[in-house]
Amino acid sequence: MVKFSLKDSDVYYLSLSEQPKRFDADSPVTNVFFDDTNGQVFTVRSGGVTGVTVNSMDKSKCTSFRMEDKGPIISIKFSLDQKVLAIQRNHDGQTATVEFVNFKDLAPTNVEYMHTCKWKCAKILGFVWPKANEIAFITDHGIELLQVLPEKKQLKTLKSISFSGAWFSWCSRSNIVVLASNNGALLQPFFFNNSTITKLQKLELDSSRPVGERDVFILQLCEATWCAIFRHGTSANMSAPLPTEIWLMPISGANGVQHTHILKTGLIGRFALSVVDDLVAVHHQSSQTSQLFDIMEELKVDNNTMIHLPIVPGHSIKPAVVDDQFCPMYSGNWVVFQPDYIIDARLGCLWRVNLIPEGLAHSVQKDDIPKIIAVLLRRKDGVETIYRILNQLVLEVNTYLVELTKSFDEINSVYRKWVDSEVARNTAGVAGAGAGAGAEAWRGRGRAVLTQSDVCTRLLQPHADHDRIVQVVSAYVWSLCAHGLTAGPGLAALCVRALVTRGARGRLRALLRRGALADARPLACQLLSLGHLDPAAAQLALDMMWRLRAREEIVEVLLSSNEPISAVGAAKQMDEATWLGLSPRKLLEAAKTFAEENGQPGAFVAVYHALLGRNERLRGSPHFLKGEQCDSYIEYYNKVTSER
Amino acid sequence: MIDINSKINSFFIFNSTFGPKEGEELKRILFFHPNQVTADARKIQVGLCEAVVKFMSTFSSEPCEALQTQTKRYIFFQPEKNYWMVLVVRLPYPTKSMSSIAEKRGDMIQPVMMQNLLVTAYKMFRMFVGLFSDIPAEDIYTKCQQFFTPYILSRNITNDVTNVIQGINYLPLEKNSFFKVVCFIDLLEINYSDFKCIAFIYNEQLIWNGLSTDDMLTLYQYLVQSLLPKQVEKEIQGGAVTAAQRHGRFISPPDGIHTLDDIQKLVKVYLKLEDDTETKQYYLIIYRTLSATICLTVDAKKTLELETFRSLDAFIGPQLYNIASTVSEQCTVHALQNAQLANTENKFIYFNRLNLAFKTSAPINTLTPSAAIKPEVLTIIAELHSDRKSLGNYGEIIIKTLDEYWITGKSSNEREFYVVIQKKNANIIEVAEEVKQICEAQMKGIFFYPI
Repeated sequence: MVKFSLKDSDVYYLSLSEQPKRFDADSPVTNVFFDDTNGQVFTVRSGGVTGVTVNSMDKSKCTSFRMEDKGPIISIKFSLDQKVLAIQRNHDGQTATVEFVNFKDLAPTNVEYMHTCKWKCAKILGFVWPKANEIAFITDHGIELLQVLPEKKQLKTLKSISFSGAWFSWCSRSNIVVLASNNGALLQPFFFNNSTITKLQKLELDSSRPVGERDVFILQLCEATWCAIFRHGTSANMSAPLPTEIWLMPISGANGVQHTHILKTGLIGRFALSVVDDLVAVHHQSSQTSQLFDIMEELKVDNNTMIHLPIVPGHSIKPAVVDDQFCPMYSGNWVVFQPDYIIDARLGCLWRVNLIPEGLAHSVQKDDIPKIIAVLLRRKDGVETIYRILNQLVLEVNTYLVELTKSFDEINSVYRKWVDSEVARNTAGVAGAGAGAGAEAWRGRGRAVLTQSDVCTRLLQPHADHDRIVQVVSAYVWSLCAHGLTAGPGLAALCVRALVTRGARGRLRALLRRGALADARPLACQLLSLGHLDPAAAQLALDMMWRLRAREEIVEVLLSSNEPISAVGAAKQMDEATWLGLSPRKLLEAAKTFAEENGQPGAFVAVYHALLGRNERLRGSPHFLKGEQCDSYIEYYNKVTSER
Repeated sequence: MIDINSKINSFFIFNSTFGPKEGEELKRILFFHPNQVTADARKIQVGLCEAVVKFMSTFSSEPCEALQTQTKRYIFFQPEKNYWMVLVVRLPYPTKSMSSIAEKRGDMIQPVMMQNLLVTAYKMFRMFVGLFSDIPAEDIYTKCQQFFTPYILSRNITNDVTNVIQGINYLPLEKNSFFKVVCFIDLLEINYSDFKCIAFIYNEQLIWNGLSTDDMLTLYQYLVQSLLPKQVEKEIQGGAVTAAQRHGRFISPPDGIHTLDDIQKLVKVYLKLEDDTETKQYYLIIYRTLSATICLTVDAKKTLELETFRSLDAFIGPQLYNIASTVSEQCTVHALQNAQLANTENKFIYFNRLNLAFKTSAPINTLTPSAAIKPEVLTIIAELHSDRKSLGNYGEIIIKTLDEYWITGKSSNEREFYVVIQKKNANIIEVAEEVKQICEAQMKGIFFYPI
């Protein structure tokens, strides 16, 4: 089987940020905390006495300060507006308390206060900041949502829900927390919104296979929230356990019906998850590889589940350089946070995981090319790579015609949806909201769209001299047609040029006859100009003008092909306004030429009489106006009729 | 129905330059049908034609076209310089009253049909054998004999509209199915770059044309009139064939291509490809699955390997089977529509001068004579069609016959349209109105003036 490899592409499809955020490494006197909500790394030296450094990819969220060491810290997190710092410490017997420090311009003020959760004997499992001034205590007794009033140095309970949970998982993007109970056989999601807590549909697992804390992640993916669960293979034979699967169970999503996605890793061991550009990256430590899964793949839904395989065979993340040398990858010191953070606490590095779209096309089975195109179409930065792949497919079309055709189908199925959304937007009457908003909204959702004018200028036009351009253009136009679209003016013009110069005029006519190229005046004119090479093109041009109701043009064509009588007849028959608007000089001149060339003065007389009739209708008198400058023709008429 | 064989008096080809001296007259006769005519009788016939042709050349630069005597009509055709093809038919004896002549007119073979017969015969010869002038003098007699004898005997020309207006019946395939065909052809040509697909035919309807229009007509006629009917007959008879039929097979040579010897049997043809400037010699390869037939060409200078054909068979077979099924679904829909058309009382004929598309409301296959167009009406249509001046580029003529037939001929934008209406006591306005309605129904989306 032929393997496609995108030229100048690297084998890697994932990389870490080129410039990691550096922080003081974990050590006996230093503790490192990460808050994935704000993306901040807290380095606490000697309990804060010798300083706390806060690092983030976002420069406006970096700071450093000192604080008193009041005991070992369990969790430390800023509020979303960076005005309140919340710290949870490990005090024996007093675990239900969180400390607060008010901040101003990222510097601590002296205002400090504490709050104890409503269930006095509860154990705080953790706390989260769902909103700027709201904090939720997640305890083994339930969840308490509180409003922080920094000026008053106090907190006010907004809502509380009792639930007995053992551990929790939080997703800041969707404001959903999942609490596990019943030894990990029951997962209960809660949703923070409008200063309240909503209990969502619970997820029940097979009680014989409960999950642990480290096997559950809440992800936001493709505009929905999912509970990702590692299902490690259980087997009677422990020496050969079954490979691990990842189950993605829907928690909430905009679009109604969702099914469970099962990602088949085919591996066993330790895993971590990242979400990169709506792809699930599954990092596997022992093989040092990361697999990518796209849950938007169009697959068969079987028993309400969809089974996915990696879109390309697993490969390692591109080696990262720290301090001018390659750093260990997939190290045991790595901690992976949602959605795409990786921390090496020993090295003191914070990275984000990035997708390298071209890496997906580095080595692809021939049959899988359309699938890769489809995957790239769903990525934010996929377009460039798509064009590079397409260009290469066109250059090697002798090998890849089938794949190219299928790739066009993938592209046009997205293009069709985009067109429909544009139409819907325009008919909804929100056109005033700004043109191009549709495309932005579309791209905003992380989707690429290759419109026909884009494909024309970026793919077809540059290959206009390719000796197989006829086949490429045909495949593209076919794909458009198969998706209920017709080739617009730009593509039609290119199509005509390509087919005519490559000696495929018959094919051009076949396309026109079947309406694959949209009727348009410029196209009709282009065809007309081919008339000297190919009379059939001119015939179709006239047909097209007729459908476009381009009456003046038809009259012009008939006049120029020396058919004055037909021109007059056609004008009279088509439309009153056209007939009344024609210049008499032009008609008479054409009629005179015709009469003289063919020795048929009758033709001139007929046109002349028709015009007299028209004058009569228009002005009540058969005579021509002075301004119409028809004197010479009146003379000619008199001469011709007297000869008779 | 008139069998042309009973009417053809003789058909011959001569070239006066071949035996210029006296006593060498027989050398000038390249071919003579019927065969049993004596040498002397041949000499007399040919001599007469030579004299007439020569005599006429003093009056006109245009070659002589026809000669009519009381009992015979001679049609001349000079396809290449000095090469003359002549068709002679016997005329019915003129009877006393004029009216009965008018009735008889319809029974006669139309001059335009005779002309067509000659032209088609020549083009067929040119396609399979080549130009007369390219054939060495010593071979030309046998070549003509080999080609024209079976050809003339196989012609069974009836007074049918398809013989008056020679066109191609295109299958109006919806665009997605059409693209399926085109992309299959593209893939085939890319995978087998020596091969070029020149025609794709479903049943007897053309879908894809890769030849110049003129050559296409000839190839189309060869396929539809001669090759395919034999195949269909074979398919109907042989139960064993049906299994193979599913997978497709090479039908030219008739027994398929299985050995190197079979490759030697491949037919060579002279054709001009679409948008090509010259005629070249090619191997003609014809493949068929279900009702779909494709014709491929390969440059005659190429050496062909048996392996190529095996691989081609494996490639085309399944794909063509798929396409044929798609097309067949569409054809069922068309057949229903056509059935409705045939039910209408009024008959029309459509002809596009540029792509030779031909369509008629009367069934093309004239199994039911009652549905066919009456001979005298056909005569009128034949005259309108063959004399382009009568309709011109944009024109209309309405003719009424004695027995209440109204024949309307129109031409516009290189298309011709004829409507035949039989209506008692109709007036011209009513007829024109009816024609207008038929036009509007049949000419949707094309420029056809005056409607």
